[in-house]
Amino acid sequence: MARAAVWNPGRDAIRAHSRVESRPPVVLEPVLWGIFSAGGFISAFLLPVTIVVLMFAVPFGLWPAERIGYDAFRASFSDLFVRLFWFVLIGGSLFHGMHRLRHSLLDAGLRKVEPLLNIVLYGIAILGTLAALWYTLLFDAPLPFR
Amino acid sequence: MYPWKRPVGWWLRNPRYLLFQLREVGGFVSGLFALLLLYMLVQYHAGPEAYAGFFAMLASPLMLVVVAVLFGFVLVHAFTWFFLLGKAQPVRFTKKPLRPGTVFAINVVLWVLVSGAVLFIVFGGL
Repeated sequence: MARAAVWNPGRDAIRAHSRVESRPPVVLEPVLWGIFSAGGFISAFLLPVTIVVLMFAVPFGLWPAERIGYDAFRASFSDLFVRLFWFVLIGGSLFHGMHRLRHSLLDAGLRKVEPLLNIVLYGIAILGTLAALWYTLLFDAPLPFR
Repeated sequence: MYPWKRPVGWWLRNPRYLLFQLREVGGFVSGLFALLLLYMLVQYHAGPEAYAGFFAMLASPLMLVVVAVLFGFVLVHAFTWFFLLGKAQPVRFTKKPLRPGTVFAINVVLWVLVSGAVLFIVFGGL
C-alpha cells in the first residue's frame, strides 16, 4: 500500500488520455474549418482584383464607365465560367467571413449565446450562398417546378 | 483561485498581436464584400437602372473612402495568408519544407497570375 503514496505523474497522464479517447469523435468542426480555409484561399486570390476593377477603376479614371456597365456585364454573364466565378467568390468569401466572425465573437466572450451565433451567422452564410447559386446558375435553368 | 483573464487591450501591446487582429477583421470584411457583390447580382437581375444605381452608390465619395478602408483589410488578410502558408506549409511538394520567404514569393507570383486571368476572362482584359 506504500506504493500508492509514490509520486507517479505518468499514471495520471495515462488516465487523462483515456478519458479524452472516450469522447465521441468530432465530425462537423473540421469540415467547417475546411470550408473556411478554402474560402480564405478564394477571397485572398479573387477578391482584390474584383474590388479594384468594379469599385476603383472607373472613379479613378482608369477605365471608361462602359467597361463595367450593364451591357458589358450582361455579355460576360452569358459565359458559364464567369457565372461559376461569381458563385465561388461570393459563397467562399461569405462562409469565410461568417465563420471568422463567429469565432472572433466566441473568443471575445460570447460563449453564452453560441447557439444564437450559430443560427444567425451560419444562416447568413447558407442563405447567401443559396441566393448566389440562384442568381448565378439557376435563375434561367430549366427547373422542374417552373 | 480564479482563472487568468486576458486584459482588454492585449492585442494593442505587440505589433504581432495587432496584425493578428487586423487579419481576423480582414476575414470578416471578405464576408462583407461577398454580401456587397451578392447585392450587385440582385441589382443586375432587377434591370439596367438598378444596376446603374448600384454603381452610382459606390462612386459617391463617402462610399469610396469606406470601400478603400475595407479594401485595406482585405489586402492584409490576403498577404498574411500567403505569409502564413510559408510558416505552416500544410501541403508539401518537396521533401524538405521550403523557406517561408520562398513560399510567400511563389504565392505572390501565383496571385498576380490569377488576378491577371480574372481580369482577362471575367472583365475582358486591361
